Amino acid sequence: MSRSKVYIASAGLVPIGDQWGKSIVDLAVEASRGALGKGRRKPDQLIVGNMFSAIGASQEHMGALVASSLGLTGTPAYKVEAACASGGSAFNVGYNLVKSGAIDSALVVGVEKMRDLEPEEVSQALAMAESAEYTQFVGATFAALNGLLARYYMEQENVSRDELSSIPVLDHANAVTAAHAQFRRAITPEVVSRSAMIADPLRLFDCAPVGDGAAAVLLTNDRVVGSKDKLAEVLGGKIATNEFSVYERDDMLDFKSTREAFKGALAQAGVAPKKLSLLEVHDAFSVVGALSLEAMGFSKRGQGSKDAKDGKYSKGSELPINTFGGLKARGHPVGATGMYQIAEAYLQLTDQAGSNQVEGARFAATQNIGGVDTTSAVHVFGRAA
Amino acid sequence: MGIQYWRVRDRYYRLIGSKCADCGREYFPPVYRCRACGSERIKDKEMPKEGEIITYTQLHEPLPGFESLAPFYLALVKLANGARILTQIVDSPEGSVKTGAKVRATVRRAKTDGDSGQIIYGFKFLVQS
Amino acid sequence: MHLMQSNDRAAILGYGAYIPFYRLPTTEIARVWKGGGSGPNLEKAVAAMDEDTATMAIEAARMAVKMAGTEELGAIFVGTESKPYAVKPTSTIVAQALGQHYTLAADLEFACKAGTEAMQVITGLVGSGMIGAGLAIGMDTAQGRPGDDLEYTAASGGAAYVIGRKHNKAIALIDCSTSYVSDTGDFWRRAHERYPRHLSRFTGEPAYFFHIENSVKTLFKETGHKPKDFKYAVFHQPNPRFPVEVATRLGFTMDQIKTGLLNPMIGNTYSGSSPIGLAAVLDVAEPGDKILLASFGSGAGSDAFCLEVLDGIKRTRGINPTVKSMMERSTKIDYSTYSKFRDKLHK
Repeated sequence: MSRSKVYIASAGLVPIGDQWGKSIVDLAVEASRGALGKGRRKPDQLIVGNMFSAIGASQEHMGALVASSLGLTGTPAYKVEAACASGGSAFNVGYNLVKSGAIDSALVVGVEKMRDLEPEEVSQALAMAESAEYTQFVGATFAALNGLLARYYMEQENVSRDELSSIPVLDHANAVTAAHAQFRRAITPEVVSRSAMIADPLRLFDCAPVGDGAAAVLLTNDRVVGSKDKLAEVLGGKIATNEFSVYERDDMLDFKSTREAFKGALAQAGVAPKKLSLLEVHDAFSVVGALSLEAMGFSKRGQGSKDAKDGKYSKGSELPINTFGGLKARGHPVGATGMYQIAEAYLQLTDQAGSNQVEGARFAATQNIGGVDTTSAVHVFGRAA
Repeated sequence: MGIQYWRVRDRYYRLIGSKCADCGREYFPPVYRCRACGSERIKDKEMPKEGEIITYTQLHEPLPGFESLAPFYLALVKLANGARILTQIVDSPEGSVKTGAKVRATVRRAKTDGDSGQIIYGFKFLVQS
Repeated sequence: MHLMQSNDRAAILGYGAYIPFYRLPTTEIARVWKGGGSGPNLEKAVAAMDEDTATMAIEAARMAVKMAGTEELGAIFVGTESKPYAVKPTSTIVAQALGQHYTLAADLEFACKAGTEAMQVITGLVGSGMIGAGLAIGMDTAQGRPGDDLEYTAASGGAAYVIGRKHNKAIALIDCSTSYVSDTGDFWRRAHERYPRHLSRFTGEPAYFFHIENSVKTLFKETGHKPKDFKYAVFHQPNPRFPVEVATRLGFTMDQIKTGLLNPMIGNTYSGSSPIGLAAVLDVAEPGDKILLASFGSGAGSDAFCLEVLDGIKRTRGINPTVKSMMERSTKIDYSTYSKFRDKLHK
């Protein structure tokens, strides 16, 4: 039996930022309607990717809530949670359901409402991605864990402060022309190294911001694809997990989940790494971006930030990354981020990326992490024939 | 709040971690399964209280409940038996918190449930001097 | 007959003192409240924000148990006036941290005297054969009312003693003790008050001197001992002056009291005061040395002990940090940091 192809037929993105006037459901509905189009198609399934609706909005049961709000009563719906990899994981479920032939279409929406919480409450909500008894208990936030990792990385691999700043600088440059990005101002390495200290050596500009957002895509197969749809094909996707806490790992600098997920997704897609036209990297912190690039094999060990500083990943290079600003500048509404990456890859492969367009983009990959590479969800997309 | 931490109080006060009955590797926090050999024959084992700092950070933006301590040091400490533990470093002379510093465990107030709730005690480390 | 002496002799098998890292110079307190000057002591030891009597007691207890090498403790008593909970025992937190469950545990309160009482009670339990060994701890995070005279000296710290049957590794024999009490209120704290209150001149003659002189003179009378029989004398030290004065009155010299006199550098650790003084003496004492220990608490009582150092003291050197090293391992803080540490700032 020949399997049908799986496509992304449309996407909806809400600009990321302080959406004071919009609730979590408002955001999810807005993004979803963008993906369902004016004709308001009815998908066979709805999947919500979200990390902490219970804390950010006192709300669970998000799948049914969003489905009902969209008038999709009767549609099967549920939430998928994998910390900051919720978006990529939710997409992976939808992709596999359509690929298997169980359903013909799925709406996947990633949403996060962070701004109703005070900053320390956001830290607490995010910290739930780590052990309650042994990480949260000692007072470690994610910034702290990544601060430890950053110091270790810089000491072991001789990476300087300015080198570490290169990915945030690159992100900001790309976000200037990105309509849905949270921060659209270019920065210099000095801006990074002078910004407020968060978890030594990580400073404010090493860290992805807090923001509200939602991004959705409609997955279809050959049978239900619309004649006017702009399509990108989903070629492969893999999720891998690692030892839970970064400090439990024998080699903390080896992002094993990302390495496994990347290898698996590309193998499934039948696409070699050098064929990728662009890459959306999960740079929740500058050091995470660097280590992700190394795990995916694009930079040698210790070289991730240094290569970025040399322009290896800039716009116009052979492998541009974070084409709309990545987590640092486009933003990181945690459970939604994976879906933003996927929506951005879709826009690139359907020539809808405007001033951020990677000319002639043929293949794209997205890498979405939960925890410190505890969960990694990688997907590969191709321009539809 | 109290019961979740009461359950692991021996782990917090005495650093009772795990030892693999098959290959002997020791862990803190405790494990369900040996990461080295895959055995499920895991026993409780009290960890040594001395170690050295592998890496550290100084956190300026703390979690709720930890504001009074900020900024404070968090470190990954390698204990004498090879187990690695994430912990605060407290009460250490200026400049002494660094990679390679020798540290020892102590018990401190870790969290309190406001002024009328329970006090949760737990491990912290300090630089030997 | 007012002498307390157990049928089977009890001895100190191990000890450990704990003094926190931080020091507040009294010039800082005087700067804030009086525009200059200083207190009667130079500095006082201040517990960190995440320390309390339980955490410090665990530190001292672990050191004492390490030195004693005892596996089982039949009793754990914490004497303190700064319990973390008004209701919930501190001693069982210590017991859990030591892995001891088959133990009689209780918290004692008698202001500054509770630590030495714990020693007497454990001596009785050991001497009667009810237990093999027990742990007596005197520990406090003394609360100084801001701007009050006692704020200069109210300090944090204390010591722990493992007491068991005398054997050939024992460190110091607890030969005998006396107690003298009365209903005399020079220092008190009502149930829901935050800080204690105290009288001023009254804390001298009718309180400190009256009770210590009674307990010590009773001990002398019942044992026939004279001041010169003792190599060391350790008194409760609310300030630098009182212990020197009572020592002189009782016939002791500066030489005898100077080793155990720590108030000038660390202040008054309340229930920890004479226990830490004793630990400082044990850090340097030799076999055969006799030690007089006299505590005092709350206006209302004094316990006096006659201790004799045994051969076992020789093997204790180097096992734990000395009191002197703990006094040196310190850093100075200012009044505002101290206020934050000791939770004196309203939010």
